[in-house]
Amino acid sequence: MAQNETNLDDLILSLNSIEVMYDSVLLAIKGVSIGVPRGGMVALLGSNGAGKSTTLKAISGLLKAERGKVSRGDIRFDGKLIGDISPQDRVAMGICHVIEGRRVFEHLTPDENLDAAAPQSMSRRKIASEKERMYEYFPRLADRKSSQSGYLSGGEQQMLAIARALMTQPRLLMLDEPSLGLAPFLVAEIFGIIQRINKEQGLSVLLVEQNAIAALEIVSHGYLIENGRVVMHDTAESLKKNSDIQEFYLGGGEGKNFQDIKHYSRRKRWLS
Amino acid sequence: MDWIFLAELTVNGALTGLLYSLVAIGLVLIYKSSAVPNLAQGALTMLGAYVVLAFSHNLGWPLWIAIPLAVVIMFFVGIGIERVALRRLAGRPIVMILMMTMGLDIFLRGTTLAIWGGSSRSLNLGVSYDPFFVGDMLLSRIHIVGAAVAIAIFIASVLFFRTRMGIRLRAISDDYLASWSVGISVEGGVALSWGLASIVAVATGVIWGEVQGVDQSLSLLLLKGLTVAVLGGLDSILGAIVAGIILGIMESVGSFYLDAIVGGGSRDLIVAAVLILTVMIRPHGLFGRHDIERI
Ligand SMILES: Nc1ncnc2c1ncn2[C@@H]1O[C@H](COP(=O)(O)OP(=O)(O)OP(=O)(O)O)[C@@H](O)[C@H]1O
Ligand SMILES: [Mg+2]
Repeated sequence: MAQNETNLDDLILSLNSIEVMYDSVLLAIKGVSIGVPRGGMVALLGSNGAGKSTTLKAISGLLKAERGKVSRGDIRFDGKLIGDISPQDRVAMGICHVIEGRRVFEHLTPDENLDAAAPQSMSRRKIASEKERMYEYFPRLADRKSSQSGYLSGGEQQMLAIARALMTQPRLLMLDEPSLGLAPFLVAEIFGIIQRINKEQGLSVLLVEQNAIAALEIVSHGYLIENGRVVMHDTAESLKKNSDIQEFYLGGGEGKNFQDIKHYSRRKRWLS
Repeated sequence: MDWIFLAELTVNGALTGLLYSLVAIGLVLIYKSSAVPNLAQGALTMLGAYVVLAFSHNLGWPLWIAIPLAVVIMFFVGIGIERVALRRLAGRPIVMILMMTMGLDIFLRGTTLAIWGGSSRSLNLGVSYDPFFVGDMLLSRIHIVGAAVAIAIFIASVLFFRTRMGIRLRAISDDYLASWSVGISVEGGVALSWGLASIVAVATGVIWGEVQGVDQSLSLLLLKGLTVAVLGGLDSILGAIVAGIILGIMESVGSFYLDAIVGGGSRDLIVAAVLILTVMIRPHGLFGRHDIERI
């Protein structure tokens, strides 16, 4: 099932059986190993509370803001161990995490949001050209660049959050449920742009989603995480065909009502 | 009715109000970058005045050396406060940070009392106390100087918040987690805001030290400054200026009429009423953004 023939050198990111604890007692992640190939797009799927966001926070270092800690295992970016590096330095290395809930700087304009995220060392001219690039990717933002970001629509805010992250010049972009609460056509638009940047710039992407249908359309591989453990890892094609995935995440289960599925999901946890 | 006298009350009130604005701008600088009302701004102002006094009187250096030196020292005092007292509280509930600034206020008052004692000293800035007439109005020169300083600091602050660093500070007060996620140094930004507020505290301390002498009572300026900052909207520099003028005029004109009725002491009542009514009727103040309870 797991097809992990990828050489470690080809991975921009690798997690080796990491455990994450909150408040020194609550074990939220129990031995997760995943890899993102250089220039690849990988999805991390799972239901509520599975540990998807926690995994991303472990990678970006934002766990520290929530009194969480990687208590075992190691995380490598570009082959280097990053466990002891501050979140700020991880961004400088090229890891950027678009956190859950499209948290734009509400009282700043979109333009200022992009300014705020530009690295301190970036020249004025480079900032201007980078902002132009963002407005080219996300033309909707260009139209609203001087209005207050708190008043943008949900889709526009998500685009702004992604554009803001891209201003940090990441090599690995991690997106936490970008499709949440958005109309399908907007999800398609946003995913299309991410795919385009991946192709054009070779940006590696780790995409966390509950919306497996949309996610599996654009990634090459996917991991399924349940209760803090990876329970499945396969190519997007095989995952789409997998009956369990279809049943629980693609809404393809036939002849079963929601209650049955919930019941079934409690019995079977994909833990072989 | 003596219109000239009323005009004089109004103008002097506005000038005094601008001196309150100085305290308020210090508060806003920190609020705008970390969403914390700094309850130690009054004590910082007092400390700033004492540091100038230490150089100019204890060491006998001229003011043009003493004041810039105090500015540099206080900048690092502000940075140090963030590093020692506040950094470990990052991400904690806002009340914790608020209590820390209150502890700081008590600490600074205790320390300055132990070092310099309780007696009032004068700074001797050299601003003349000769009567100064504009038309028929009698104005105070030191208040005019102070008001000019307030306007200058106001302009500098507005410009600062448009720079790249200023934008980053505003981003931090909007959402520190999102700021971390794009590599903004939240700690560095908050430290800088404390450093800048401490510089403003030196200017405030020098002006107020000249107005009323340097002693422990300078720390009580916090109450006026906080009232002005809340009335203006805690995150608005413009609000700090406008609200300062409004409060100053209300205090000066209002107390003139009220004192005649209640027999004195109505200044503080007016300040208290403004603070309470603002919080009740318009919690985000005149120019503040609406959701001020968010951190
Ligand atoms: N700050 C925290 N403190 C303590 N426990 C936490 C914290 N954040 C998350 N948890 C716990 O860790 C587990 C995993 O949470 P996480 O947010 O990673 O899930 P998720 O897969 O992102 O879910 P969702 O799809 O709802 O966002 C949950 O049981 C959650 O209750
Ligand atoms: Mg989540």
